[in-house]
Amino acid sequence: MLSARWTPIFSAAFAIAYVIAEQNNFALFTYHPRIDEWGFLTQAPRNGPGMYWYGWLGTSFVAASIATLIAIPFVRERQVPSILGWAVPLVVMVLFVYLLRAFFFR
Amino acid sequence: MNVFLLILHGLCAVALLGAITHQTVSAWWPARKAVGFATSFRAVQGAKFTNAIVILFLITFVLGAIIYPPYRLHGRTYLETMRMWTVNGSFELKEQFLALSLGMLPFYWHVWRHPLDEALVWARKMTAALIFFAVWFGFIAGHVVNNVRGIF
Repeated sequence: MLSARWTPIFSAAFAIAYVIAEQNNFALFTYHPRIDEWGFLTQAPRNGPGMYWYGWLGTSFVAASIATLIAIPFVRERQVPSILGWAVPLVVMVLFVYLLRAFFFR
Repeated sequence: MNVFLLILHGLCAVALLGAITHQTVSAWWPARKAVGFATSFRAVQGAKFTNAIVILFLITFVLGAIIYPPYRLHGRTYLETMRMWTVNGSFELKEQFLALSLGMLPFYWHVWRHPLDEALVWARKMTAALIFFAVWFGFIAGHVVNNVRGIF
């Protein structure tokens, strides 16, 4: 079953790509809500705050898709450990609690 | 329009909460017989909720993404002005947890699809638990943010 091979890899790659994108602000696109405009890649805020969350999702989706496409030929004959699919997102969730701790300890 | 979408987002979230809670409880604490309320709650066939959970998650997520800009412009500015860092941080965590759940959704669908693979019991338990946690956290954090002026 093909989904047994690509879904755990995609899940793990998405989580890793997302935390990297969020921490380094690697946004595939930026939304400027005040003027209702979209821009390509990470842009400075215009007339108000810039929104990068959509762009981080885009970056993560593209990066995870590429990583999965690259990895699939290498795992064609092997079983992909299913633990990858949930343990990596779990670790990244815990990591986010740590990274955002400043909000809760002011 | 934003209020309508916000209420729709909340209603979809409630339906999603019900489905994912049933599934998670049935995975972690299954019951063979549905006798009383508690055992009936646990005795559901969790796999039957999978497609509904995926669809509800996507709808709720998209609705949340649509109503995010008004929050960014007005809600978050208010939280920052009032120095409500815990509430602000809870919403930040919400968006990260739900984004990670979105990325995990294809894997979740794979492990919960029919016929259920006995080797994936732990993957089923863990994916359901993670989405359960993210959805409940997101619901409570979103609810607090939505009502922040009335509560504090």
